[in-house]
Amino acid sequence: MKIIIDKIKTSELQEMTKNMFGNIVKAVVDIDKEIMAVDAPMHADLEAQLINHDSDQENLWGINLYPEQFGSADFIEYDSMINLRPNQNNRSRGVEDLKIREKIIKIVQKLVEK
Amino acid sequence: MTIVFHKGLTTKKWFSMNIFEQMANIGSEVFRMLKWRKKDAKNSNLAFERALELIDLSLCDPKNKIHSKEIARTREVLVDYTFSNEYKSTDKFFENYFYSFNYAARLGR
Repeated sequence: MKIIIDKIKTSELQEMTKNMFGNIVKAVVDIDKEIMAVDAPMHADLEAQLINHDSDQENLWGINLYPEQFGSADFIEYDSMINLRPNQNNRSRGVEDLKIREKIIKIVQKLVEK
Repeated sequence: MTIVFHKGLTTKKWFSMNIFEQMANIGSEVFRMLKWRKKDAKNSNLAFERALELIDLSLCDPKNKIHSKEIARTREVLVDYTFSNEYKSTDKFFENYFYSFNYAARLGR
């Protein structure tokens, strides 16, 4: 597991896919602190790590990154069990709020480089 | 964190409980969710949403940092159970898991 505060290269993400799921890297983004935790078998593990890093759970959103799709709309997949939050009016595994999705995209673009 | 489904519950009240008491209370909602699953989807879903809210409160509780991984994993496995059940959970699994907290919460009382 790793918390990305500055930058991470797609080559490093690609390396992570070999150890875990073959083509994806699980990630959790903190839309307030604009940081991201990556590389764990469950989004819950990344969520817990960020909470221990003083993130607030309500700002954390789970995504999957496809390093081979970097630069395309398919690079980010909004799908995680941790996203199901009825008390924040998010009743699916996706990210239903468009503004939150836009924030996630901006943060991922800021943190991930070729 | 804003509490939506548990009217009358405050974070102060929830945080005053130890982890065993919190998980036992979460277990009560999970048992309700399981009980209603086959009979009434709406009641089951309401219990599920209440369980998630309590789990999220426990995740926010500063004294639970040492337990955060387990709490977060419990949440993910519970949500998975209501979707594709990739982790192959069963009702029995959740019953056994949460009953242990019931016992722990009552020890010494």
